Amino acid sequence: MTTFNKYFDELRETKVWRSVFRGGTGKSTLRNSMAIQQNVFLHLLSTKVRKRMLEFNATWYLGTLTLGTFGILVITGILLMLYYHPSVPQAYADTKDLQFVVSSGQFLRNLHRWSAHAMVFLVFAHMFRVFYRGAYRPPREFNWVIGVVLLLVTLLLSYTGYLLPWDQLAFWAITVGSNIASAVPLMGDKVRFLMLGGHFVNANALLRFYVLHCMILPLAALFFVAIHFWRIRKDGGLYARHSEPDVVMTTAPARPPL
Amino acid sequence: MRLPDRLEKLRQLFFGDIVRTFGWTSLLLLLLLAVAPAKHFFADWHRYQRGYERLISKRSDAVTLRRHFEPGIQQIWLPEMGVVDRCTTCHSALKETTLKDVTTQPYRPHPVIPHKPEEMGCSICHRGQGAATSVEEAHKSTLAWEEPLLPAKYLESSCGQCHQQDLKGTPQLNLGRQMLSQYGCVHCHTIKRPDGSVITGTDDPPSLAHIADKTTREWIYAWLKDPQAYSTTATMPNFRLSDDDARDISAFLTSSSTPASLKVVQASLDEAKKVKDNAALQTKAASLYGESFCASCHAVQNAAGNLVGGNVGPELTKIGSKAKPEWLQAWVRNPHDYDPPTGMPHYRFTDQEVGELTGFLLAKTDADLLANVHLEAPTPDQIAHGKRLVNDYGCASCHEINGIKRPENFAPELTKIGSKPVNQLAFAPGVPHTLYDYIGAKVKQPRAFGPSLKMPQYTFNAAQIDALVNALLSHDERALTMPAAKTVPALPVSHYEPAGKAGQLINDLNCFECHTINGRGGDMAPDLTWEGSSVQREWLVQFFRNPNTLRPALIRRMPKFNLTDAEINTLTDYIMTVYQSPKIDRDSMPLAGYAPGQVELGKQLYYSKYGCQACHIIDTKQDKGYIGPTLTHVGSRLTAAWIYGWMKDPSMLRPGTQEPKRNMSDEDARALTAFLMSQKGSEKQEAKKR
Repeated sequence: MTTFNKYFDELRETKVWRSVFRGGTGKSTLRNSMAIQQNVFLHLLSTKVRKRMLEFNATWYLGTLTLGTFGILVITGILLMLYYHPSVPQAYADTKDLQFVVSSGQFLRNLHRWSAHAMVFLVFAHMFRVFYRGAYRPPREFNWVIGVVLLLVTLLLSYTGYLLPWDQLAFWAITVGSNIASAVPLMGDKVRFLMLGGHFVNANALLRFYVLHCMILPLAALFFVAIHFWRIRKDGGLYARHSEPDVVMTTAPARPPL
Repeated sequence: MRLPDRLEKLRQLFFGDIVRTFGWTSLLLLLLLAVAPAKHFFADWHRYQRGYERLISKRSDAVTLRRHFEPGIQQIWLPEMGVVDRCTTCHSALKETTLKDVTTQPYRPHPVIPHKPEEMGCSICHRGQGAATSVEEAHKSTLAWEEPLLPAKYLESSCGQCHQQDLKGTPQLNLGRQMLSQYGCVHCHTIKRPDGSVITGTDDPPSLAHIADKTTREWIYAWLKDPQAYSTTATMPNFRLSDDDARDISAFLTSSSTPASLKVVQASLDEAKKVKDNAALQTKAASLYGESFCASCHAVQNAAGNLVGGNVGPELTKIGSKAKPEWLQAWVRNPHDYDPPTGMPHYRFTDQEVGELTGFLLAKTDADLLANVHLEAPTPDQIAHGKRLVNDYGCASCHEINGIKRPENFAPELTKIGSKPVNQLAFAPGVPHTLYDYIGAKVKQPRAFGPSLKMPQYTFNAAQIDALVNALLSHDERALTMPAAKTVPALPVSHYEPAGKAGQLINDLNCFECHTINGRGGDMAPDLTWEGSSVQREWLVQFFRNPNTLRPALIRRMPKFNLTDAEINTLTDYIMTVYQSPKIDRDSMPLAGYAPGQVELGKQLYYSKYGCQACHIIDTKQDKGYIGPTLTHVGSRLTAAWIYGWMKDPSMLRPGTQEPKRNMSDEDARALTAFLMSQKGSEKQEAKKR
């Protein structure tokens, strides 16, 4: 370990490293904090975390696992996009090709599909955990709202992805789903028309769902995930009951009543 | 160490701290990931390709076979037909004729067929999931694929997707298509061909407008209860009617019948009565029945229970139990009086002959048929109920019935039946869940699918049911979307009508039932489109007067219609003038006067070089050929120009003829013509005829 650390420290002193990472060297708390703060990716995370908050029992890692499945979905999704045409005669043939001729294509599809199921499950588990732990309370109430938005984005990703294989299951599921949307009072039919790009599930619907599934919704998810993470940091790091409950639960509101 | 301690130690080893946990979990995930490439490696097709390489390595022509073999996934891709077939990935030896002895699948070579696999793919004919590369998915019906491989006995249906005409190699399909028309399926079910034309019936179901003139209510009742009890060859299916329903329908049909204008001649009726119960007169009448070649179209059951005769007209075994004498004598005299579009020709029988034949037929009774039928006079309620039943069962889809309109689309349209999704079918218990089993079961026993269904019970044997399944399967989505360049449309229906007085005669004699002229007509007798170029006028006159047999092998023959000289003249003039081939100039070669040397040369060519005696007879003592017409009188029958043209290219004059094209030189053809024109029959016979 020590040898490794020594080499790593030496590496961090090189000119190339210093030109890439703005954090600087040194072992001080300030330097360590800056390594996080000044990195475009890491600055979303808290600069400091209590060690016991990283234990399994603290969070069951549900949020991280959700992010992990999302990562798998993005990677497998991009690979699937290499083989898929969102056009009516071709879409089903392409899924068949994935199954029958693309090397490990079926594995790719299954990985995407099971990760999607797992992500929905994990998102719910995450929310239950947050809810029952009371981690939605101020100052984290807005992050709970972002979480609800992320739940919706996840469900919409699932729903739009369902149509893409273009089989009977897909067709009828979306037909039923879009008919449910048309039950909205006053503007139901317009909503359905907007969703499907027509009155029936057809080529336009397939293209719309493809764009939603591969472009709009993943970008939306990314956007809200970024805010979600950033807010964790800004709202005081991961919520642990033992660190705050007394303050939140027993003291008077921080803001004096008007 | 106690077990819990050991477990604790193991836990420490794998999940003791976060680094270990992370490390071991990663390893586990990596192993799980390795499943994917492993599954790929152990895929069915990999196994079969390795097996094929082993198979060919032991053979003498291993080098050639290995050069033909391409490893990896193979596919036939025909975008214009929507074909992506990867069958050749495992079926590697489809084109390897040297592997004929290999019978194990998937290495069997394909039997010889007119199409190349790379032109058509595999799934167009065999169905199944062409894109699949695993055995189960490619051949069977799965959750995501409802079209399993077709069993071999239904393969002919696939030919019918493109070929709307009959093919030599598809007897089952041809039979099935014929049955769709012959058994009247298409009267209730609309079936459109890909070109948009509708299949029409050929069964000619009789009009029931004057049914009470023709037969009794008792016979109608017995017929409705079980048509096959009257005639085993009846095309009318069994509607499984209850006694009351049959009683009420028969009541309605007789009460709605209107009188036809029948010509009743008392002399004929008297003669018929005499003949009916007199054995000697019966024998005489039987020979008239034979001479008139009634048996060419009508069958009668003989003592051994075998049907003897043609199947163009209805079976006559029990006609005496059915037909009323007044109607029968009028029908024999001139069938057009009762049913103008009938296929039965108008023989010019004398009243005496009409009586004889009527008596002969009236004697053909079956005492058991109507023995137990006793019907009271019908009540108005029964008649009204009968009318309702006639509407319910769609009787008017086939029969003309007074007061009932022909229903449109009485039964479901079958234009796309061959690609009907299995999930839209309601299966009877015990029927395997495939489309072809469904169709077969439905045709075999329609009411098994529900007692309230209206489809009647036919009496088809297994081969007929398979034929029908073949014909129906060919009407599928693919047939409708096949590129026009790939399809062979049905022969256009000819509506040719001969003109004038001769035209009336031709229709009156129903020549088209047996002969084809200009694309219209039957195939029982020769095509007469170019008859005027072919035969000599004198012979034709004689032939009408007394038709003799040209082909010794045939049982069905031209009947004698007892035409008057004036009628014969009209017909002969018309045929000689109108039915002329533009390719033959009848008068370009003389009918007689050929040099003896040329005749002798022709004789040698006939017997040695071309071996014509294999099929034809000239010397009745020695020649044994009986496939082609007898040529003993050919010199007085055919024109020389026709014989010459026939020698040069027979199928140009009559497409589809069995006569082979021999690529004769002009000299040979001329010599043979000279020889054949010298065959005028014996002087004695000629004199006798005159």
